[in-house]
Amino acid sequence: MTNQNKTIWQKWKAWVNGEEALLHPDAYIAKRAERKKRSKKKTFNMRRMKENPQVYHFLCVSVCAAFIGILLAVVAELPSFGAAENPTNNEVMERYLEKGMEETGAINFVTGMILDYRAFDTFGEANVLFLAVIGVWMLLQRDRKNFSAEQERECEEDAAIETAESKTILQIGAKYLTPMILLYGVYVICNGHLSPGGGFSGGAIIGGGLILYAAAYGQEKVGAFLTKRRFLTMIAGSLLTYFACKSYSFFTGANHVGYAIPKGTPGEILSAGWILPLNICVGLVVACTMYGFYALFTKGEL
Amino acid sequence: MRMWIAGLFLCGGMLFFIFSLIGFYRLNYVMNRIHAAALADTLGLGLVMVGLMILGKDVFHIAKHLLVLFFFWASAPIATHLIGKVEMLTNADYYERVHEK
Amino acid sequence: MSLDIATVIQGLLVLFLIVSAIAVSVVRNLFLAVIIFMGYSSVMAIIWIFLGAPDLAITEAAVGAGISSVLFFLTLKQIHALKGTREG
Repeated sequence: MTNQNKTIWQKWKAWVNGEEALLHPDAYIAKRAERKKRSKKKTFNMRRMKENPQVYHFLCVSVCAAFIGILLAVVAELPSFGAAENPTNNEVMERYLEKGMEETGAINFVTGMILDYRAFDTFGEANVLFLAVIGVWMLLQRDRKNFSAEQERECEEDAAIETAESKTILQIGAKYLTPMILLYGVYVICNGHLSPGGGFSGGAIIGGGLILYAAAYGQEKVGAFLTKRRFLTMIAGSLLTYFACKSYSFFTGANHVGYAIPKGTPGEILSAGWILPLNICVGLVVACTMYGFYALFTKGEL
Repeated sequence: MRMWIAGLFLCGGMLFFIFSLIGFYRLNYVMNRIHAAALADTLGLGLVMVGLMILGKDVFHIAKHLLVLFFFWASAPIATHLIGKVEMLTNADYYERVHEK
Repeated sequence: MSLDIATVIQGLLVLFLIVSAIAVSVVRNLFLAVIIFMGYSSVMAIIWIFLGAPDLAITEAAVGAGISSVLFFLTLKQIHALKGTREG
């Protein structure tokens, strides 16, 4: 079967499978050789470029200078900081500042903005964290498919060193510091609508406390209460709760007419509608993600 | 009067931070350097926090500063101890430096 | 133009940021680069407080100076680039 009496689809399939070269080897080789010969004469070769250091350095510096010049020119064209006619000083910011507390019930405008006006955006960010930890899990988990004898030997050596090493001072310190760090993280999460902080910062603090505990007492201690199943349930449950809390806007319309969540008096801990549960969901996702990164990077398992 | 006492404590704390920085650049070996760094972490930060506590508005304000101070005084020595331990375990000529001076 | 003390301190901190940002890319030792990056994050947290964003300051101090450096160190340990570990 020659190449002429094929349909376009068959030709394309043959080209994808590499059969073209097998069918017409001489023509193919001639074409390839010719192309190579031609390319030797004309194209720009980086290796030959590097053999001539003066030209190379001159080009490096000039490329850098060109980029710096472009960026500085753009900076010079930017509107000045805080000027009244800047595009950022529009009606959106006035609305946030004037009606923010009344509409969201949160004293801290930043949390009111990211978890009420722009809650969908924050949902996307929480999903990004979830995808990141799942991707790291797929890449780094140590199981039967991802097994090599050398890695296993290194892991056993690490475990032996860890058990033989006496870490008394670190352990006593972690015993008293970890509850304080976790308590502070919970405080930052639960006061997200009243004071600076919120789900992301509080979750990172809780994750840091868990990492400290795992570094002092070994990951088995943390793994006893944060098992693989509980970890996944916590992350997925938080994301689903977030989605359920915020997706009612899709059914009731953007203004929640007739289905408004009671806002409470601003300044109390149980106020501001959905912001407190959403903060807790985001905090759980972030804390699990941070500890999951640590556990997967060190041992390859949760 | 309160401002002056607080200022005295703050300036004292800053002075210890400056001593610590000079020690950091003056000394060469890790163990000497963590000694200099611990000066800032304990005495310098303690004096600064006492000065801020004198300036504090109410009880909760002062209590928060006390908690910060307690946290630093609990965590900084542990970190210093761990740095020293790593130096002792990984530096090959540690014994030579210490014993044969 | 009057120079008050807050402006001077902010200028010094921004200068430190620029110097450490250049140093991170110039330094050959990876361990040193991570430690300089920690310093960069801590100073950045102070600058966020000066700019009136305490939320960002808390997050920067917890993530930038705390957890991301831990992850960097773990990565360096995994690729055996730390002095004192195997084949380091």
